[in-house]
Amino acid sequence: METQHAAQAARILDTAVQRGAEYADVQFWSIRQEQMNVRNAQVQNVTDAASLGYAVRALVDGSWGFYGSDRFDAASLDRAASEAVATARSGAKVADRIPAVKPTEKITASFETPMTIDPASVSLSDRASELLAAEKAAHVGKSVVSAFAFYSIWTTGKEFYSTNGSSIAQRIVQAGAGCGATAVGKDGDAQTRGGPGDFGLFQGGGYEVIRRAKLLENAPEYGREAIILADAPATPSGTTDLILDGSVLNLQMHESIGHPLELDRALGWEANYSGISWATPDRVGSLRYGSDLLNIYADNALPLGFATVGYDDEGVAPQRVTLIENGVLRAFLSSRDTAAQTSLPQTASVRAADWASVPMVRMTNIVLAPHEGTLESIIADTKDGLYVAGIRSWSIDDHRLNFQFGPQIGYEIKHGKRGRLLKQPTYTGITPRFWGSLDRVAGPSEFVVWGTPNCGKGEPSQAGRTTHACTVARFRGVKVGVKTNA
Amino acid sequence: MRDQDRALSIAEKALRFADAEQAQVTVNFNQQSYARYARNYVTQNLTSDQTTITLTYYAGKQNGTTTTDDSSDDGLRRLAAAARAIAQRVPPDDDFVSLPKPAPTAQAGRAYYESTAGATAADRVEKLLPVFATMKKNGLSCAGYTTTQINTTAIANSLGIRAAFTGTVGGLELKAMAPNTSGYGEYFGPDYAELDAAAIAERAAAKALVSNAPADLAPGVYPVVLEANAFADALSAILTGINAFNVLDDKDSWMIDRIGKPIFSPNLTIVDDWSDPLFANPPFDPGDGAPTQRVTLIDRGVPKGYVSGTYLANKFKIPNTGHSFNFPINAVVKPGTKSHDELVASIDRGILISRTWYSRVVDPRQATITGLTRDGVYLIEGGKLTKTLKNFRYFTSMLEALKDVELGSRQVLTGPGEIGIPIVVPDAKIARFNLSAQTSFA
Repeated sequence: METQHAAQAARILDTAVQRGAEYADVQFWSIRQEQMNVRNAQVQNVTDAASLGYAVRALVDGSWGFYGSDRFDAASLDRAASEAVATARSGAKVADRIPAVKPTEKITASFETPMTIDPASVSLSDRASELLAAEKAAHVGKSVVSAFAFYSIWTTGKEFYSTNGSSIAQRIVQAGAGCGATAVGKDGDAQTRGGPGDFGLFQGGGYEVIRRAKLLENAPEYGREAIILADAPATPSGTTDLILDGSVLNLQMHESIGHPLELDRALGWEANYSGISWATPDRVGSLRYGSDLLNIYADNALPLGFATVGYDDEGVAPQRVTLIENGVLRAFLSSRDTAAQTSLPQTASVRAADWASVPMVRMTNIVLAPHEGTLESIIADTKDGLYVAGIRSWSIDDHRLNFQFGPQIGYEIKHGKRGRLLKQPTYTGITPRFWGSLDRVAGPSEFVVWGTPNCGKGEPSQAGRTTHACTVARFRGVKVGVKTNA
Repeated sequence: MRDQDRALSIAEKALRFADAEQAQVTVNFNQQSYARYARNYVTQNLTSDQTTITLTYYAGKQNGTTTTDDSSDDGLRRLAAAARAIAQRVPPDDDFVSLPKPAPTAQAGRAYYESTAGATAADRVEKLLPVFATMKKNGLSCAGYTTTQINTTAIANSLGIRAAFTGTVGGLELKAMAPNTSGYGEYFGPDYAELDAAAIAERAAAKALVSNAPADLAPGVYPVVLEANAFADALSAILTGINAFNVLDDKDSWMIDRIGKPIFSPNLTIVDDWSDPLFANPPFDPGDGAPTQRVTLIDRGVPKGYVSGTYLANKFKIPNTGHSFNFPINAVVKPGTKSHDELVASIDRGILISRTWYSRVVDPRQATITGLTRDGVYLIEGGKLTKTLKNFRYFTSMLEALKDVELGSRQVLTGPGEIGIPIVVPDAKIARFNLSAQTSFA
């Protein structure tokens, strides 16, 4: 792969070393994000945003300094390097700190996201036509007051250089699309149904991801369901067997497995913002996280993964790591520094949102291993339960234990068959009890690589792109239809 | 201001290159520095220096938007050409009427402080050293960040809008942690010199040390005092529905059919006022440069109005309040008369909540919200704090909760929070607040 910034990188790294860095790296980012939004037959936003910048990391006396800039004149390159070193030096003044680890790897490599349809081969007018047709198809009745369709495409070029001599070039392409409809019922209640997933399908790849979302095919069903939901009864309060569609299960994994297994969080580094973790490194090998059917692994090279890369943002090669095996905690998602503070392996899970953001541990691609059966076979096997899909609200505490999710839609299940459609199918639980009640995981035929484009973490908050691939699962004895008392 | 002039100059140049029927250029310079810490040392120490130039080109009702950080002439020419190319290829947006026209705009107050703009990495760490010392003295660990930021926005459009603003932000968030409890403190304002990190550390440490064995309490409906940060978070259920998009377009707001009706306590008044002295906000819409109007959102318990931006104001033929982000970005909750301690003292048996987390609106029409408490929940008995409690999940309609609310006398500017938008807010005592479950930890 052709590189463009080797000379600038050399200048920055030389300056950093001259200023006192023991180690430094710089990553150049060329970012392009294309978006289009259609709402009520109007193409409202068509954007093509580009950014070119670089992120310098310098290590001084076991302390990191970071400086991100989009200025490319020689003085700015020197300033970025010098400021990164000065920033690192300032943190080194603090006593009793745990020193960061000096990287030793030297890697020369390149990576490109596989794709079958280059976004550049699809004209803007064709893209607009696809969204307009899907949005129109969602208007299946008069009570649909609005509908939407959108796509996003991210094309990111990265060049990573380090004082160890590493040189890594990557071109990462990610895309997503979704659609939905809002209907208002007889009592004025507004209900929105959309998807796929939590309002969109997001994966690694080119325009084929947008086509894979099947917007035109899905839109009429979203419209019909929104209409029914707007006048549907609320989900009765009670305890029942709960079947999570992949569009809900993936977010459940994100919040109650992916985040708690970020090692920086478990070590307290995220304590002020998104909290800590009920799972701690000293319980690896002994902590019962869920039932025997709970098998979770992280795979930075997962095909179609929304977080799939060739190398992470510390220049470490991707790995597949078992996080939970037969319900028992086996590992955490980690960086070089967090792994060094434990006896756990480094998992190449470091990502930054862009050149202006400091790299940190991210959940990347996590996978719930498929087991057996299909959605329909699980429904047929459920005497009395609730099947839920789509997401409209989610909330979990800062230890990642107590959660309450609000799917878009619920289907009552009676004697193995779908019954009434219910609105507000909220459910709540405690992480290990909930995963401990997992008794069915569907097989590979239901497997979908779900991504999310807006995972918030860090201060300042970074929007990360993560994957939680899964099928469909059933949980026994879950509290549903949670009500307010006020 | 040199940065404002430079930003406006770039915007005007890009506008000339666009040569459009209508066009708008926004230029942002953002320098953000953070010293982030955990376990009593700095874990992430960073600065980013970013230029963002956004151009929207209109060919009739067709439009295209492009963004770059390249402010060279060639970069701006490419930006304009790319936006024009998009606009010429996509279908029209029939709801678009016009960009805003120039209108009298108030002068901004003082928003730029050299103490903030000139702070170095060493200065930020220096602010943290007494924090770490206080934690160690008390056997505590801490996590949070301190930040200094310089933000410049300049907007120019083809109809003559010219607006520019530079503001600084200084801040600290601090979570003090004992093995089983925690306490929280924060400061945000334009002047970093005003940040007394040592004092915040002492208060956060004292809250963490109220007791080391958090107690259980049955979930239920209790009188609560929500400290300012927690009250701001709970209010997000109200503030997110108080705009023209949710009321008129999406029809999914609690305001629908309730405007003009006395549905809240007469103690509750919320306005959107960029000129509030605790803010350092621009007097114009940072989305398109239209002047920002002062809007009374809730007046003594009666919902009065909602905010709007140019696009929806034109579409629905309503006044443009200068809020194109569809959110009251300058929200101010008017204070009451009682101090924090007096609010606590007025409760015979209830709960003090310091901070909340992961609040999400479950039902926009009822302003129903759920979230979790964190970093300091205390039992109030006989008007005094008697125990630290384990955390709770709350799940309540804020329409119901705000029927009986009493506000504290001291307003503060909150941090960006999860919504990302600071507001000015006092503490609040709510007579009936539903805590639907208790967690196993504090």
